[in-house]
Amino acid sequence: MILIALLLPSIIFLGIVFGFPLLSYLWLSLHANSVLTSFRSIFNGWANWNRFIHDYRYWQDFLQTIRFSVASVGIELLLGLIIALILHRPMKFRGWIRSSSLIPWALPTTVMALGWRWIFNSPFGPIDQFTTALGAQSLNILGNPSTAWIATVYSDVWKTTPFVALILLAGLQSIPADLYEACRLEGASASSCFRRITLPLLMPYIGLAAMFRLAQAFGVFDLIQVMTGGGPASSTESIALYAYLNALRFLDFGYGATIIIGSFILLSILVASCWFFVHLFNRKRSIMITK
Amino acid sequence: MMFSRRKFSSLLVGLICLVALISTTPALVASQIETISILMPAPFADSTVKLVENFNTLYKNQIHLNVIRGPRQTESMSDLAISSLLLGDTPFDGLLMDITWLPKYARAGWLEGLDPYFDETDIADLASGAEKGNDFEGTLYRWPLVADMGLLFWRTDLMNTPPKTPSELVSISNQLQTQGKVPWGYVWQGRQYEGLSCVYLEMIDGFGGDWFDVNNQSLGLNEVPGVEAAQWLTDLIETGISPRAVTTFAEPEALRNFQSGESAFMRNWPYAWAELQKQDSPVRGKIGISTMVSLPGVEPASTLGSWGFTLLRGSNHKDAVIKAIKYLTSAEAQRVMFIEHGYTPTVKALYEDLELIQDYPHLALLSRALNNAVLRPETPIYAQISDVLQRSLSASLTGEEKPKLSMNRADRSSEQILVAAGGTPS
Repeated sequence: MILIALLLPSIIFLGIVFGFPLLSYLWLSLHANSVLTSFRSIFNGWANWNRFIHDYRYWQDFLQTIRFSVASVGIELLLGLIIALILHRPMKFRGWIRSSSLIPWALPTTVMALGWRWIFNSPFGPIDQFTTALGAQSLNILGNPSTAWIATVYSDVWKTTPFVALILLAGLQSIPADLYEACRLEGASASSCFRRITLPLLMPYIGLAAMFRLAQAFGVFDLIQVMTGGGPASSTESIALYAYLNALRFLDFGYGATIIIGSFILLSILVASCWFFVHLFNRKRSIMITK
Repeated sequence: MMFSRRKFSSLLVGLICLVALISTTPALVASQIETISILMPAPFADSTVKLVENFNTLYKNQIHLNVIRGPRQTESMSDLAISSLLLGDTPFDGLLMDITWLPKYARAGWLEGLDPYFDETDIADLASGAEKGNDFEGTLYRWPLVADMGLLFWRTDLMNTPPKTPSELVSISNQLQTQGKVPWGYVWQGRQYEGLSCVYLEMIDGFGGDWFDVNNQSLGLNEVPGVEAAQWLTDLIETGISPRAVTTFAEPEALRNFQSGESAFMRNWPYAWAELQKQDSPVRGKIGISTMVSLPGVEPASTLGSWGFTLLRGSNHKDAVIKAIKYLTSAEAQRVMFIEHGYTPTVKALYEDLELIQDYPHLALLSRALNNAVLRPETPIYAQISDVLQRSLSASLTGEEKPKLSMNRADRSSEQILVAAGGTPS
């Protein structure tokens, strides 16, 4: 009883911050509310959902968002781990190096996205200047659907790898030094120390960083909006950008809400299945170890 | 310590008072002058600088027109305007808008009707075709500044008369290509963007169909002319009359190809004329303008693209804004815009001006195309249905889908959007 009473404030808070908007979007997704209805909500049953299911632009954006998230978070984890391991080693000016490595993350996304847009610009950006000076063709990276998304992943990796490195560095520092001592005394190689001690003990931190970053990457908006505006030919458009376009450019709030609720459901399913597989994997491994 | 802090705070208060005093003084002086502002895309803000200066001298001590220089891109411009209007705020009194925005803004209730300010004679002064696309559901909302319409450019050194029908265009192209006079027959805008919708609109109308009938809210994409238009465009690429790269062409790419003498025909807007007649242009003096091809017995169609001024409902200076709009769209102002910046006029007087025609003989051809101008669907959800069309067309042009299938799909998707957004289903 006391337990519930103590939890009540946070439950109410979560209800206001998360529950209310979700419910009102759900309500809105069952209504036509657009410039055609003069922004009045008119019940239209499953019309928004019917459109949602058949909307190939949405499904293309959904796959693109997953592609962007998986690629950028995957690379960030790998690079972040390497950087964390380097920063963890004792060296001269470690404090300075650690703080300066955080600079990309401290920059506002809009500013850095604008910077990268100019770097990738064709024909005035330095990359194009370089390739044309060598006599090669202009790369036109942001103008080509097959390369533009890679440029957005690259910029995202550049910006948020320090964040991942910071979390993993904290994780590394929480591993007791005597474990490594014992490992060395047993005569284990550095690589097996890493595999048997560092990685398993770092797993919770890797999971945490991955979760934070995935949640952010699925909702990516500012980076894409500034760098490519979703183009060329919608090849870099994300779910969040499409929802924004529907609400603010097309003035169709009913369908904008449908996209948000639909994406919420899809992502919940995705996260739940990921969690399920990780759980399954962990159980299998613990069985193997006990054997 | 205590003393110095007090001294500092009193200094701060003094400073704030000073700033407040300075900032209100001009406001007191300017209170007799009505300051109005109009948001324009950057190119128009730049080309009207002189006209605006003249206006401000003419109405010295009465009205001061302030032009807000918006973004260059049409879509960013609309986003900027919409996001401020959605908040119920009107940071500007007038807005220079593209023809396709009008139904959306009008239905959203952001625009003031212009019927009290412009009468029948004003409308009669507009060139035939320029009066289209300024009203929505019977109310006038927009007054045109410049017109733009799709044109067929052809090479006068390769043929005597331009083709009138789609099959003539194909046979002339074939002949010239086999003779080795040009590598390509016809270049146009095939990239997946708004320009493709404009190209398609001219063809579906030229085949006798209709993209969207506003009165019945019905779509004609999957009917015979709709499919034929898509098929014809796809065949141009498949038979080698248009290069495969046309699916990545917007206006500048098509112009570059045609200007370097690589093709016999091009679809483009009037601005291309000035570019093609430049001193270093390889095709200078070898260019003709015609209307788009259409089936025998069907009127040729030119997609109308134009920019015009609107008055925002929240403005407190409506009469002053109208004065500015009337000044900037007057025949004299449009003459300057045409001569100095190449913008196509919208007033009849300039097309009948013999002196101007003598200097710019292509004016008569522009007038004929404007006369055949057709509008893109006048619906508040135009942006969505155009996007659906562009995707389907692009799939068919790149050979991913048969035109019939992709047009069926475009029709169905557009229908779903109409129903979901609260439109009346057919």
